[in-house]
Amino acid sequence: MVTIDLAVTPVREANETMRAAAARGEDIEIANPDARHHIGVGLIAPVRVKVKGSAGYFCAGLSHGADFEVDSNVGWGVGDSMYAGSVVVGGNAGAIAGVALRGGEVVVKGNIGSRAGQVMKSGTLLCCGNASFLAGYMMYGGRLIILGDSGERVGEDMSGGEVFVGGKVANLGADAKFADITDQDLDEINAFLQKYDIVFTGNFKKIVSAGTKLHYGATEPITRPQPHTVFSAEGVYWNPKVTEDIAVKSQIGRYRIRGYGAAKAVPHFTDIALKLDPNRIGAGDPLKSVNLAMVLGNRFGAKPLNLSMPVLIAPMSYGALSKSTKIALGRASRLSGIVENTGEGGMLPEERAEAAQLIFQCLSGRLGWNIHDMLRADALEIYISQGAKPGLGGQLMAKKVTKELAAIRGIPAGIDLRSPSRHPDILGADDLVIKVEELREATGYTKPISIKMGAGRVRDDIKIAYKDGFDFVQLDGLQGSTGAASTEVLENVGIPTLAAIQEALDGLNDIGHKGDMPIVLMGGIKDGVDAVKALALGASAVAMGTAALIAGGCISCMQCHVGNCVTGIATQDPEHEARYKLDRQALAIHRFLEAVRWQIAALTAALGHSDFRQLSRDDLVALTPEAAAITGLPYDPDYRGVAGEFHTKVA
Amino acid sequence: MCGIAGIFFKGANSNQVLGKALVDMLDGCQHRGPDSTGFALYKEGIDGLRLRFLVEPEDEQAPRRIRAALAAQGARIERETREGVSFVFDVAFEGEIRPFAYAMEHAAKLVSMGTSLDIIKDVGSSHDLDSIYHVGEVHGSHGIGHVRLATESDVKPESAHPFWATGFADIAIVHNGQITNYWKMRRRLEARGFEFRTDNDSELIAVYLADKMAHGTPLETALEESVDDLDGTFSFLVSTKNGIGYAKDRLAAKPMVMYEDEQLVAIASEEVSLNRLFPGRPLATTEPAPGTHRTWSR
Ligand SMILES: Cc1cc2nc3c(=O)[nH]c(=O)nc-3n(C[C@H](O)[C@H](O)[C@H](O)COP(=O)(O)O)c2cc1C
Repeated sequence: MVTIDLAVTPVREANETMRAAAARGEDIEIANPDARHHIGVGLIAPVRVKVKGSAGYFCAGLSHGADFEVDSNVGWGVGDSMYAGSVVVGGNAGAIAGVALRGGEVVVKGNIGSRAGQVMKSGTLLCCGNASFLAGYMMYGGRLIILGDSGERVGEDMSGGEVFVGGKVANLGADAKFADITDQDLDEINAFLQKYDIVFTGNFKKIVSAGTKLHYGATEPITRPQPHTVFSAEGVYWNPKVTEDIAVKSQIGRYRIRGYGAAKAVPHFTDIALKLDPNRIGAGDPLKSVNLAMVLGNRFGAKPLNLSMPVLIAPMSYGALSKSTKIALGRASRLSGIVENTGEGGMLPEERAEAAQLIFQCLSGRLGWNIHDMLRADALEIYISQGAKPGLGGQLMAKKVTKELAAIRGIPAGIDLRSPSRHPDILGADDLVIKVEELREATGYTKPISIKMGAGRVRDDIKIAYKDGFDFVQLDGLQGSTGAASTEVLENVGIPTLAAIQEALDGLNDIGHKGDMPIVLMGGIKDGVDAVKALALGASAVAMGTAALIAGGCISCMQCHVGNCVTGIATQDPEHEARYKLDRQALAIHRFLEAVRWQIAALTAALGHSDFRQLSRDDLVALTPEAAAITGLPYDPDYRGVAGEFHTKVA
Repeated sequence: MCGIAGIFFKGANSNQVLGKALVDMLDGCQHRGPDSTGFALYKEGIDGLRLRFLVEPEDEQAPRRIRAALAAQGARIERETREGVSFVFDVAFEGEIRPFAYAMEHAAKLVSMGTSLDIIKDVGSSHDLDSIYHVGEVHGSHGIGHVRLATESDVKPESAHPFWATGFADIAIVHNGQITNYWKMRRRLEARGFEFRTDNDSELIAVYLADKMAHGTPLETALEESVDDLDGTFSFLVSTKNGIGYAKDRLAAKPMVMYEDEQLVAIASEEVSLNRLFPGRPLATTEPAPGTHRTWSR
């Protein structure tokens, strides 16, 4: 047995020692824990860990197979995302005990704090005392047993799993109902209690999902497709888009949902010109004369991502997209020497195999989030929001929630899936810093950690990202696309991509750290020209979502959310997916990325630079007063004279 | 965006090493707020009324302005010291506190006023403040403290917490969370003649509570009403000349843990801070329930 004294050993070192001991199969004892955070995080070996006192946040979080015993209390998130194994807590547990439990057993002898078992998927959480507010909030599966009284709103918005309460139920949460308890339920509970030597003689009430709230009533009528190119065209007030919208709402009586990004005109990269001599474009071989390679993610000594050019594939989920599309994106990213991103909902093994470098996203529902894929990833990303729908969680219509997809996400198949709008354990910058640390501890400080955020209060949020220790930021403007969101939010919530990057730069400048944290900008970046403008404005790199999809065969019909994508991209229906020619589309995406590479290199060279990092605001002018006001670039309408992509001063 | 801590010693004439306890507790949760730190300490031995002003280093005229303003208000200076970025004046003053406080605000940034309250706050960590202001050596009966991660406002000494209930002696607050009906509440108070020195929602809570108490509402009741009146997320600690209290929102979004025995009550955002008071000892702590409040006083 190994004894680690936390009065003298920092937690980071202690976790390393624990991993080493566990690898040797040695049991572990932690002395003087004094409620320190992250004890035993990421431990994936079947050993016993005895914590002789209280533990802080995320004790046993992201572990698999270890058995923890904590003498006294634990802080927030005991057993976070645990796969298997057990935690027995002698005292009380703070908020979100057993959060996102994917298996295993968490037993708390005392009381548990609010939102216990939030987004848990499997396994058992037992509380021998009383539970606070919102127990079982948004749980997808598993079993929550409370021997004492439950607080208010038990089972709020649960979509699967079972809650058993032995004491008083203060009241039921929205969309929860009482159900008859079966003999089998009781036998299983008794067996569980016996296993942990717990005696209980009272009667249980059983609470399950009522299943009424998380479904859409009337479905949208089928309308003639108006591709995004038509749909987003400007013009008269009562255009076909507006009239169709009114007609549909008059039938369904609710908001509408669609894919793609905002369709209204806002100041964008087209309103900015490069101060460029067109005669210089394409002279020589710009791919040879300009350096485009960069590394990303080494602010804190993690192993960084290596990019052959400052372009990333935007995070898009397996779920919104078909497996074949994810594989194609992964392959294209490898062929072009850049980075792919899992998006919400877990890592596909096939995607992992294809992408040479893959970022793994952690979202509020913790769908598919687990320690093994974290270790397989090249970087980890905490998703706070995206430009298309800041403040909303993910949505996936039942039709897309297939068995395979449900298994990866750890949820029941065939539910209208919504993930919460907030992370269970990130309610402020103060919690976020502890979460980031948990991910670093779990992966031994080897992975870069980024944050994805939609453009809301960017100037404040970027400061939080900097101070909470992210390696880089993925910043997404209003124009950013989605697989599914309500049109009201798509069109109206958030600020344009141009404003987002400007605010981000201003925010970092406010705290004296301009240039100290890379910003990857996305949201309506169509090609290498937009990319160069973004880089010159101050972005460190760009990411492309929609452009990559269109390169791979998307026809912009905006029906991504329905699940019947005719091109086989945004669907989980095998018949539709069969239409997708993976090998061909992977190469098509790769060719598009290479065109982007050439554009970035050629324009950088034509501006007189040999490295894309030499691009600066001096290379830009604003063509409209609005773009000038947003970016602070000089307004010079003279550059408007020349049509097409490249602009020059009309002398 | 922060961490909070508070301690109350129960004995009738408790004069414990208050500063050291709070320095340790805040050091324990400094990760929640690395930018600035602050303490509201209640102690005996202040001559008359203590005023603490924050002064920019380059503002050489400030002491003269403060002295002139004090004289104009009929306050007699008993003692004057300079500490870090602050000037401390102990004065003899007999008149009404609120107009006096508002008048003094025009001379320099007044961050605390009281017959036993002293608010010490600055940019930096708990240990940084201890070495500049010798917080650890302060003996007293109770106090609260705060660590801050700045987002909206700058990293400046004056935007550090705790906040004094501007215009009311000896009342201070530390708060973790965000009050979403801030402007509505502030306009109501402004309409009744209150002045605010910052746009910080913590100052609002302090003035809101102090106003109720000034009208004879006991702190206990004021806290109960605050849970209904304030929207948003909050876990806050309030301190008065005689004691401390807490209130917690109904959403239980912000953490708070408590330890109590015969000698003391300690409350903090995280148990790790409480354990700093009792290293190596598992504590029987409790988590206040959502929407609750409580007070301790002598
Ligand atoms: C089908 C689809 C699925 C998406 N899924 C995610 C996701 O899981 N996580 C995420 O952070 N962003 C997601 N996004 C948003 C993109 O990452 C990105 O912010 C956006 O597409 C960028 O704008 P662009 O499409 O104009 O390049 C998704 C976008 C699309 C089109």
